[in-house]
Amino acid sequence: MALRDIHGAEIDTLLARYAQRRSAVLPLLYIAQDTYGHLTDDAVREVAEIIGMPATDVFEVVGFYSLYYTKPMGKWVLQVCDDVPCCFCGAEELITALEQALGLRAHGETTRDGMFTLERVKCVAACNKAPVLQANLDYIYNLTADKADELLNELRRRADSGEQLSVSGRAATV
Amino acid sequence: MPDVSVTIDGTQINVPVGTNVVDAARLAGVAVPVFCYHPKMKPVGMCRMCLVEVYTPKVDPATRQVVMGEDGKPVLALMMNKLQTGCTTPISEGMVVNTASDRVKFAQKGVLEFLLTSHPLDCPVCDKGGECPLQNLTMQWGPDSSRFDYEDKIHFEKPIPLGDLILLDRERCILCSRCVRFEDELADDNVLGFGSRGRSWEIISKSTPAFDSKFSGNTTDICPVGALTSSDFRFKARVWELKSTPSVCNLCPVGCNTSLDMRYNELMRVMPRENDAVNEIWVCDKGRYGHRYAVQENRLTTPLIKRNGEFVSATWEQAYSLIAERLGSYSGAQVAGLAGPKLPNEDLFSFARLFRENLGSNNLDHRPGSPADLPLDDLPRTYGVGKGTNLMTLGKGTAVLVIGADPEEEAPLYQLRLRAIAQRGGDLTVVSGYPTKLERSATRKVRVKPGTEAQFALALVQAVAAEKLASEEVLGSGRLKFSDEYRRVLAAHKFDDLVAATGLAREVVITTAKAFASAEHGIIVYGRSAAADPAIPQALAAFAALTGKLGKANSGLIALRPGGNFRGALDMGVRPDAAGQPGLSAQQVWQQAGTGVKAVYIAALNPAAENPAAAQALQKLDFVVVQDLFLTETAQYADVVLPAAAVIEREGTFTNAERREQRFRQARQAPANLPADWQSFQAVAQLLAERAPVAVAARTLKKGAKVFTPEAPQGWTAMLTSDVNDMVTRSVSGYNAASYSALSTSRGAWGRQPNEAVYYDGTSYENTEGVGIQIAASAEDSRTTLQLNLSAPALRPVGELVLLPVARAYDGGDWVRGSKLSARQVPAHIIMSVADTARLDVGIGELVTVSSAAGSITLPVQIETGLDLGVALLPEVRGSTLGALLTGAQTAITVVKA
Repeated sequence: MALRDIHGAEIDTLLARYAQRRSAVLPLLYIAQDTYGHLTDDAVREVAEIIGMPATDVFEVVGFYSLYYTKPMGKWVLQVCDDVPCCFCGAEELITALEQALGLRAHGETTRDGMFTLERVKCVAACNKAPVLQANLDYIYNLTADKADELLNELRRRADSGEQLSVSGRAATV
Repeated sequence: MPDVSVTIDGTQINVPVGTNVVDAARLAGVAVPVFCYHPKMKPVGMCRMCLVEVYTPKVDPATRQVVMGEDGKPVLALMMNKLQTGCTTPISEGMVVNTASDRVKFAQKGVLEFLLTSHPLDCPVCDKGGECPLQNLTMQWGPDSSRFDYEDKIHFEKPIPLGDLILLDRERCILCSRCVRFEDELADDNVLGFGSRGRSWEIISKSTPAFDSKFSGNTTDICPVGALTSSDFRFKARVWELKSTPSVCNLCPVGCNTSLDMRYNELMRVMPRENDAVNEIWVCDKGRYGHRYAVQENRLTTPLIKRNGEFVSATWEQAYSLIAERLGSYSGAQVAGLAGPKLPNEDLFSFARLFRENLGSNNLDHRPGSPADLPLDDLPRTYGVGKGTNLMTLGKGTAVLVIGADPEEEAPLYQLRLRAIAQRGGDLTVVSGYPTKLERSATRKVRVKPGTEAQFALALVQAVAAEKLASEEVLGSGRLKFSDEYRRVLAAHKFDDLVAATGLAREVVITTAKAFASAEHGIIVYGRSAAADPAIPQALAAFAALTGKLGKANSGLIALRPGGNFRGALDMGVRPDAAGQPGLSAQQVWQQAGTGVKAVYIAALNPAAENPAAAQALQKLDFVVVQDLFLTETAQYADVVLPAAAVIEREGTFTNAERREQRFRQARQAPANLPADWQSFQAVAQLLAERAPVAVAARTLKKGAKVFTPEAPQGWTAMLTSDVNDMVTRSVSGYNAASYSALSTSRGAWGRQPNEAVYYDGTSYENTEGVGIQIAASAEDSRTTLQLNLSAPALRPVGELVLLPVARAYDGGDWVRGSKLSARQVPAHIIMSVADTARLDVGIGELVTVSSAAGSITLPVQIETGLDLGVALLPEVRGSTLGALLTGAQTAITVVKA
């Protein structure tokens, strides 16, 4: 199903919000990313078509921002900050724990069941509550390695419960 | 513009306000190295190569006065206390620029060292090698060694195709964005961009098809490194082996100056040759990649004579004798000549002479005789843009009215040139019944009901009277004469009715008329859709004349018609109406084939390919001569087929849409020493004159005189193309000043300074071989009276749908042979509106049967969202067989799902 069919009303609201249609490119890309899991070539072209922008211009936007994913991602994208304050508070231990629990490396790899993608990121502006992880752009504060399993279980439970998840962070609370 | 005084490397110079430091330095004879900056585009300051020291007079913040030093001179301060990019820094009064200080040299070396960190050292296999600004600048300004580890160079797969014509080597790319900016700013094709970020930053193209631009080849020219290469030239030759021959493209009426880069007898590439007044430094892809037809193996090399239904090779003497004997056996009225508008002036002139003088026939035409032919229109001879017209200089103060034309399809370079006028502040109105690309650049986009351009043009004439927009000067001169028909048509068509027919608000017409009338320069460009109804050019000429936009440089009409040298064909008299007694047009020739007309000589035209009626008519003729490069569809019907030299194998002249005559030279030896078209015309004429010496002035001939000998009959003694040109200058009105030597005169162009190869190397070729001569429009002579006429607009036919033929640049014509553009040729199709296709329940690509009073054809459908209900567009491409369908300028059709 095309984006228009699924999210027609939301797309129209977004387009109406801006003086120029092209201003809606970022939120529309987020919608496309959540709908298709990641931004395939066709998905980007579909957004270009809806906005009436040259496809190349939309691909430029997608390529520029790190939060647009052009390869398949897990239902949960886990981004662990490995910048200095987080490191002091145990970020590396957290990463090791997550890597072991998920059986992958934190280079943007995705678990085989398609549930988690693990990435390292730089400062996410919550140093006072280090170490910090973002799960679909929702902050999980003071996440020490010993809490890793608990977090993964909780996230799995939420995914299985049928909760609407958004790798673009559209469901994020902060 | 006021000048300001600046000092650059100790040289004081006055330059116009707004000039940037790089350009000011060029004027002072100082080369500031650049990569991303290009004088044809806006500066962006991306490459940092043009860093210079800029000092400005110090200003006291309290008093806002310049602080004077003890020596009585202003105290200078280094701008922002650091080096500035010259391309983005506009000069100001009293500025002192230092381009060669140690600090600048250190920075330049650093920038180059940095640019080279990941640039591969593959110059020996790089197509740009030898004309590469990066090589040049590194030699002059760069470091001799790098501190970066060679092993750290970033590697990419190389090359990757950006499209089918252009390849990208990402290792070589220095990310200057010249290509992206060219496509966005100049060509208005948003097909290139930057993908990814950081060290992975790269040029991408995501259009469909990829790199979908008719000007893509120009990006390889302005690429300052070897990142963009053309699939047409890649690995063909080293540039220093190439010999450049100045040429002129004849694929459309722009007449772009080109350089044919040859290695011995091989055509390696076609490059633009700069000519400010024609193509600046650009050439479209058709002009760049569309000349390989001349080097195809399947060219004809010997004359062919049909015996018992089979072609057999013949000698030239046999072929010429047979042609002369057979053509000479008919009366003048029974023979006809059709010569294509891509032939040079010398050929067209000789062809017209052969028919008028030797055969006594006025049955001449340069059109193929299809119902899709445009009516003859020679109004630009009188009302055309005046001598000295140079679109590159126009901007503010210029109004351009484009009507019934799709410039990018009909004459691609006009897309760039007209858009540029609008960008420089000119007023660009685009009037069309269907979407065109140029309207995106317009100041005023006027979408009339399809097929009502004539009503719009007449409404403009009416608006002149209603709004008192007429030029006092022109009216006062008493030069304008109005025919009775003019008054009748004006009286019969009221302004409000005309406006209502176009579906516009009256203010739109009045604003357009006022903008045009009040501008200093006014240019009207009209194309295929407008020329189909003679009422439109007439009304446009009247509008231009009444508003005083005639008889001077940069004002008047520009007609875009099919054929690169259509203007030459009209001027040289390859038209049925040139002499006192009008002859038959090509369409009439086909109608009277076998009855009134017995024999036809066709050169450089292929009427049978597009028009089934012509193919049938050819079979009814007693004798058909076809002269062409290939054994075309038409040649199949010939009794005698003559091969000829291609344009690149001979010299001659073309006259472009702005009536600029330009000379091209021979770049290649023709296979089998084939003669130029005019030589065959002369050979036939000489034999005819021998047979019937009364046809020309009597002169004793040596028995058995060979062709091409000076003893040949009077008037047919040309040895060289220049001899024909001499005759043209003597006998064709307006061409008297356009001798070959005069055509060779060159002037400097686009402000290129000596030795600028260092940074504009590979961009285009400096024009050293002539920029051409513009033929004056007859309105420029203040003694000519100007007879204005008008006609009633063609009535919109009654029918379910109205069919409008539209031109296409990629028309699948004979030029496509061997071209990289062959993949871009689209098969015949019909374009319909969303509503009409929905009503018929057909989707994209589905077949429909289109029927008119003339016939019916089955075609796939394309849908155009911007198109009005009730209109269908039929692109003129090979295979569309428009001739089977059309009944006039507009054709009533019915469409059913096939």
